[in-house]
Amino acid sequence: MLTHLFKLMWNKKRTHTLLIVEIIASFLVLFGVTSLIVFNLRNYQEPIGFAYENVWTLNFNARDQPDSTVGEVMQRVKERIQTYPQVESTTLFSSNAPYTMNMSNGDVTNGNARTLSNQYRTDLDMAKTLNVPVLEGRWFNKSDESADVRTMVINTPLKEALFGDEPALGKQITFGGPGDKHKKEDYFTIVGVIGNFKTQGEYMTNAPGLFQLNKGEARSYTRTALIKVKPGTDASFEAQLTKDLGMLTKDWNIEVSYMENQRQSTHNITLVPVTIFLIISGFLLINVALGLFGVLNVSITKRRSEIGLRRALGATGNGISKQFVGEIWVLATFGLLIGLLFAVQFPLMNVFDLKADVYITAIVLSVVVIYLIVTLCAVFPSRQAAEIQPAVALHEE
Amino acid sequence: MITLQNIEKVYRTSSIETLALNNININIRKGEFVSIMGPSGCGKSTLLNIMGLLDEPSKGSVAIAGQPVKSYRDKELAALRNQKIGFIFQSFHLINDLSVLDNVEIPLLYRPANGKSRLDHAKEALEKVGLSNRMKHFPRQLSGGQKQRVAIARAIVGNPEIILADEPTGNLDSAMGNEIMSILQSLNDDGATIIMVTHDESMAKKTHRLIRLFDGTQVGDSLLQGVAGAGREWQGASMPSVQTLPSTPKL
Repeated sequence: MLTHLFKLMWNKKRTHTLLIVEIIASFLVLFGVTSLIVFNLRNYQEPIGFAYENVWTLNFNARDQPDSTVGEVMQRVKERIQTYPQVESTTLFSSNAPYTMNMSNGDVTNGNARTLSNQYRTDLDMAKTLNVPVLEGRWFNKSDESADVRTMVINTPLKEALFGDEPALGKQITFGGPGDKHKKEDYFTIVGVIGNFKTQGEYMTNAPGLFQLNKGEARSYTRTALIKVKPGTDASFEAQLTKDLGMLTKDWNIEVSYMENQRQSTHNITLVPVTIFLIISGFLLINVALGLFGVLNVSITKRRSEIGLRRALGATGNGISKQFVGEIWVLATFGLLIGLLFAVQFPLMNVFDLKADVYITAIVLSVVVIYLIVTLCAVFPSRQAAEIQPAVALHEE
Repeated sequence: MITLQNIEKVYRTSSIETLALNNININIRKGEFVSIMGPSGCGKSTLLNIMGLLDEPSKGSVAIAGQPVKSYRDKELAALRNQKIGFIFQSFHLINDLSVLDNVEIPLLYRPANGKSRLDHAKEALEKVGLSNRMKHFPRQLSGGQKQRVAIARAIVGNPEIILADEPTGNLDSAMGNEIMSILQSLNDDGATIIMVTHDESMAKKTHRLIRLFDGTQVGDSLLQGVAGAGREWQGASMPSVQTLPSTPKL
């Protein structure tokens, strides 16, 4: 029967060209949206690697202040913040602190492998303030503060990218690629490995990242203070804090944000386009569904005598119903096969640098959704076809 | 082979009731070639539909090969139609989007048969009606007579015991009509029971038995003398008739 249906629909392909094109378009749009959803969902399942609850972000704009003094002032700011009883812990961080939308990255190598890594600068209290668990080795301590010590903490994705299953502690890495010329003092020794560190939130890819200790002249790089406050700390403290810190920083501009709010804003940046694409895709699918429904209804009206004939030749009402559903599946299969030719190029050509399994999952989901929609559209008209009285239908022509 | 007892068929709409068949009693035996005649609207096609299990009578009972079918469900009726009955229609009812071979194959799709066996049977049936050279053609590429021969091939492909033909020569000129009639006679000679609705007296005279309907009522049931098949068990029945006809041509 399947061969028969393929022959029948193949011979009618010209009649159904528009519908096939519509199925291809729907599949491709659905594939795009599903890829986006699968990508974001996979990311969402990966923990962010730090705690954002009750953390405030203070951004300091030093205006025209020279870098040589900024580091000193920021150190005093940190010391002042730590004096408040409402504060559990505080840390200074580079401008690419969590949920700030800023990024800083560059190539890193261990002499053999090379990978692009996010680069963060912070201090001794970051792991404590953001509750970042150290999986191997240790976080920075006082011994790392001396000028001649060059240490780094890396995250698990960076460890995997550079060392695979090998241990990373005690190994040395540097910036640039394996072919670049490096001096001995360019290398950093890895003293600790943390898990994930997804600064753009749950929907961010679990990307490689490394941490350098903020010391010496580099202190001017850390102009963001992250403060872990006690639960229930309210806006009155915020007012007091900005007033006090304003006196320390004089003409600087201070901006306070709650990390929980920043997280929500970051989520919206990801979720709003996905929602828009989902709505567009939904409208397109409804359009296709209505089209299919209409085409099937017209087809059944036109083919009443064929239905009567098939009933006379031995088809049951249920068999007629199955035939119409089968025909629409065949039609969907024609469209999907063409659509798949385009869709498989994405994993094959590594488009947008996404993992192949994201695309493959999206393809499978899109195929299932298309088959589901065409089946739903076919069920009602095909039941109507099954109810056609053969004697009446045969008499009509 | 087919027994109809006290058949009545009423078509009802919200305001009108139409009596299409009234108290029909017919017993068609195996191997008979029966024609049904009557003016338009007298209920011939309705009677054929009831015999072919395509329609249910409002009253009365239908039995095929001694089995009453009243309690049969859709699935059992479909199986009986598929295995025991072949249909031929005035307007051929070929599917234009399928080749001749694929059209003939259709009844076998509703049986448990593999593709090769279906193909072999379909080719064999087309050879029987002399269309083995047109298998790959589509219905629109055939003449009316050829289309009807394809329809006959489709009717016989499943080797049914009964063939129901609803005005099989109605859309054909007399030469084509005679050709189709010869094929039907030949099938009857091979043992098929044929019931044919026709308006054409000359075609009816080539059959063994003529049933006449008028306004849904059976007004005649006569044996035709001298035709092939005379001398079978039903030959002593009442209703003498008409004239001697030449013997049935072979395929």
